[in-house]
Amino acid sequence: MVIAIPMIWLLVFFLIPFAVVFKLSLSEAAIARPPYLPMMTWDEEGILTFVLNIGNYFYLLDDDLYIFAYMQSMKIALVSTVICLLVAYPMALAIARANSSTRNLLLMLVILPFWTSFLLRVYAWIGILKTNGLLNNALLWLGLIDQPLAIMQTDLAVYIGIVYTYLPFMILPLYTSLVKQDESLLEAAADLGARPVTAFFSVTLPLSFPGIAAGSLLVFIPVVGEFVIPALLGGPDTLMIGRVLWSEFFSNRDWPVASAVATVMLVVLVVPIMLLRLAQQADEKKA
Amino acid sequence: MTTDAISPFISEPWTDPSAKPFIRIRGISRHFGAVKAVDNVDLDIYKGELFCLLGGSGSGKTTLLRMLCGFDNPTAGTIEIDGQDMSHVPPYKRPVNMMFQSYALFPHMNVAKNVGYGLARDGMPKAQINSRVEELLAMVQMEGFGARKPNQLSGGQRQRVALARALAKKPKLLLLDEPLGALDKKLREETQFELMKLQEDLGVTFVVVTHDQEEAMTLATRIAVMVDGKLAQVSTPRDVYEYPNSRFVADFIGGVNLFEGRVTADEENHMKLQSPEAGLEIHVGHGVSCSPGQRMWYALRPEKIRIARDRPDQPHNVVEGMVEEVAYMGSLSVYRINLDSGKQIKVTQPNLDRAQDNPISWDQRVYVSWGSSAGVVLPT
Repeated sequence: MVIAIPMIWLLVFFLIPFAVVFKLSLSEAAIARPPYLPMMTWDEEGILTFVLNIGNYFYLLDDDLYIFAYMQSMKIALVSTVICLLVAYPMALAIARANSSTRNLLLMLVILPFWTSFLLRVYAWIGILKTNGLLNNALLWLGLIDQPLAIMQTDLAVYIGIVYTYLPFMILPLYTSLVKQDESLLEAAADLGARPVTAFFSVTLPLSFPGIAAGSLLVFIPVVGEFVIPALLGGPDTLMIGRVLWSEFFSNRDWPVASAVATVMLVVLVVPIMLLRLAQQADEKKA
Repeated sequence: MTTDAISPFISEPWTDPSAKPFIRIRGISRHFGAVKAVDNVDLDIYKGELFCLLGGSGSGKTTLLRMLCGFDNPTAGTIEIDGQDMSHVPPYKRPVNMMFQSYALFPHMNVAKNVGYGLARDGMPKAQINSRVEELLAMVQMEGFGARKPNQLSGGQRQRVALARALAKKPKLLLLDEPLGALDKKLREETQFELMKLQEDLGVTFVVVTHDQEEAMTLATRIAVMVDGKLAQVSTPRDVYEYPNSRFVADFIGGVNLFEGRVTADEENHMKLQSPEAGLEIHVGHGVSCSPGQRMWYALRPEKIRIARDRPDQPHNVVEGMVEEVAYMGSLSVYRINLDSGKQIKVTQPNLDRAQDNPISWDQRVYVSWGSSAGVVLPT
């Protein structure tokens, strides 16, 4: 009974919408309203015909723009995830090891940015990164550079925006897994002759793998489909699948191709995660 | 006071003033804000001892142990282990290993990796680690468990693995924090004897923290009773039991009946204590350093009291009372007796025969008596 509730949730908010998108991806675009041909038609002899158009998927393979956009999205998501992990880990560790009153304050600070609109915060980064923005002016004033840096509309700006936005999603799961680690384990390691660095790599780090996995998925998956940040901070070269999807849907009004793009994205994301889960389960069974 | 104590142990280095202590603790204190967890403790522990720190929760016993392995730094005072000052030695460089109360086994490593962890840190070659781990697992009777993860072991098995891990590096000093606390009673008793045997065989000095006085009595060569961060008494188990130095220690270790009284006679070979609480003048068959009129306490263990329906033939230490309650415990029976003075005392008598004719029972009047050397006179 209890398990039925998440099941129903998944069915209503995930499976059914996905089925709708998947069905759309198999239809043919048309200048109509809605802008695609119906899948099922009754012809005049009363025979029901199904039209399944898998041409949209071949179209994606044909045009290397899509493949390129997928690869680019994957690369940006991967690099951002690694950067997020490297930045978030020391922060999460510091929060987990702080005393309880400081800890709550630090956690508040991590969550605080969510109280401002995400869009606003990305626009704020434009103000910081643009040619005569805060960062360039500060660096010029300090004399560290004599020419403003061109950060806006580059991949660098996209990385900055993504890492900034998704950092809390990495910090929180890491913090959760670090804070519940038994302190006496580190004492045991020290007692057995491990210096603090060795103790970290042999005890703290491996025990936080579930946190690392959770945080990485929470960052990686949404970043692959990220649209707003590359659109606002990136240049014309920063082609990510989210942007392609947006333009297929709104500029080209080709709903079936846009749906196909979305379906492929989902498969590309879900399949590796499922394989990872299966590998983990096999590993657990073996142990 | 302790001169006539007979100790079962062959060597008693603490009685030899020229013996060099293995651990020398001097004036050590640890304050947490206003709380004095450990307060100016001096203590010597000798090589090969199985030393027990006994105390209730918050007595400072664990803090003292943590300072020995370097997890806590003393506010004041020094610790010397094997002649070396430990003040600035971090935990990972001390010749000390600890068995944690929670065992603190690494959950992501199997048993063999756990036991071999310390050896690997020392850079021992893999083959050598493997054979040493085998040896250790055999020692704690855990052969064949090397590939298991800690969560696949029972409590008793985890305890053994933790012990093997703590002994892996052949430490000169092993600290054990409530080593048997998580085990059930039967397993605890078995493991106590195994622990003692192991300690004897290996010759390692053990310092055990426990709140269980029975455990301390069974295991220890000497016991330090801790209260409020101070050492109340440091003696052999027998001395702590038979010659407690304060009411606190007498009450903490085993059951005791305490009678308040005033010194009425103070002679070379005996003294007398007038105790309205007991309803008689208690005769003590040895001299005690005291002055007439001084307020003192007489501590009498329940098993050192006899009860009978007929008045026993002895000149001193006989009072009358009424049996309030009898509890049959198998090996012995416990009596609660209301003395005519109003004081309730506890008496235990061994059940020497299976069937007793007409046993002493509820609401019967009895004579309560004890020998002149049965109890201890305590000034505080």
